[in-house]
Amino acid sequence: MEAEFTLGTPSLTPQGDAITRLPTGKVGIWIFLAGEIMIFGGLISCYILLRIANGGWAADAAHVNWQIGTLNTLVLLTSSLTMILALAAVRAGNRDGVKLYLASTVALGLLFLLVKAYEYLAHFREGFTPLTGTFWSFYYLMTGLHALHVTGGIVVNLVLLIMAIRGTLWARADRRMEYAGIYWHFVDVVWIFLFPLLYLSLKLT
Amino acid sequence: MSTVNDTGYFYCEIWAWLVGLLVAGTVIVFLPIPKLLALTLVFAVAAVKAGLVIRHYMHLKAEHVLIYLIALLPVLFIIIMAISLLPDIAFRH
Repeated sequence: MEAEFTLGTPSLTPQGDAITRLPTGKVGIWIFLAGEIMIFGGLISCYILLRIANGGWAADAAHVNWQIGTLNTLVLLTSSLTMILALAAVRAGNRDGVKLYLASTVALGLLFLLVKAYEYLAHFREGFTPLTGTFWSFYYLMTGLHALHVTGGIVVNLVLLIMAIRGTLWARADRRMEYAGIYWHFVDVVWIFLFPLLYLSLKLT
Repeated sequence: MSTVNDTGYFYCEIWAWLVGLLVAGTVIVFLPIPKLLALTLVFAVAAVKAGLVIRHYMHLKAEHVLIYLIALLPVLFIIIMAISLLPDIAFRH
């Protein structure tokens, strides 16, 4: 049992470690994500219920561009790949790989935000603002909140990248990368549901 | 603590599946099939994609039961909330 305690985070009590053998950081990130699930889940549920109640908002939904949505989904899925490859590189001791994959994840995250900004500008030019109607209020709220989460993830990944370049990441690189990755993949999962709800629904209403 | 040591090749394989499902999910809406069926298929494909990311990229396949509880409890709350609101939508709109 003594050997198992040494595997846990030093700040954990031996009792807690003996029960779950989970690092506090991992429990912390999942509790944080539980709150995020409530936020996005609540929003998505309300969107679905109100959309059913209001006949589908087909006229409004016709103005979103599914091609751009598909492209952005591909960008985010690819960023999830580069993020998990960064973790695999940490575990393989491949420091150059970590830097390359982290930089790729940051770049893909920025590309996602750029495409989203282009979409927003196009919608604003057409006269669709958050005040145009219920569909557009939900559209801007859900995609805007998601974009804020992407921004947060980019900042975290950028910090990790700077630490990797400076050589200060490696002491606890495995856990740092794992927790940052769990958050980044969660942001990806949220988009996986937002994409059909907001972009593919035109043909289904 | 779970430590999954899947290879980079395996992660690329999962990514290929995700891209394939993205294409499939997008193509479904253009197929000449009933809308309800298309809607069901689109969200089934989205659920499979999310499942692949959660299981293999977030490594939930190797996690402690406590992590499952933390992740599933809010999902349960959301489902309860949605079901509770359904009669309001069904009978008042």
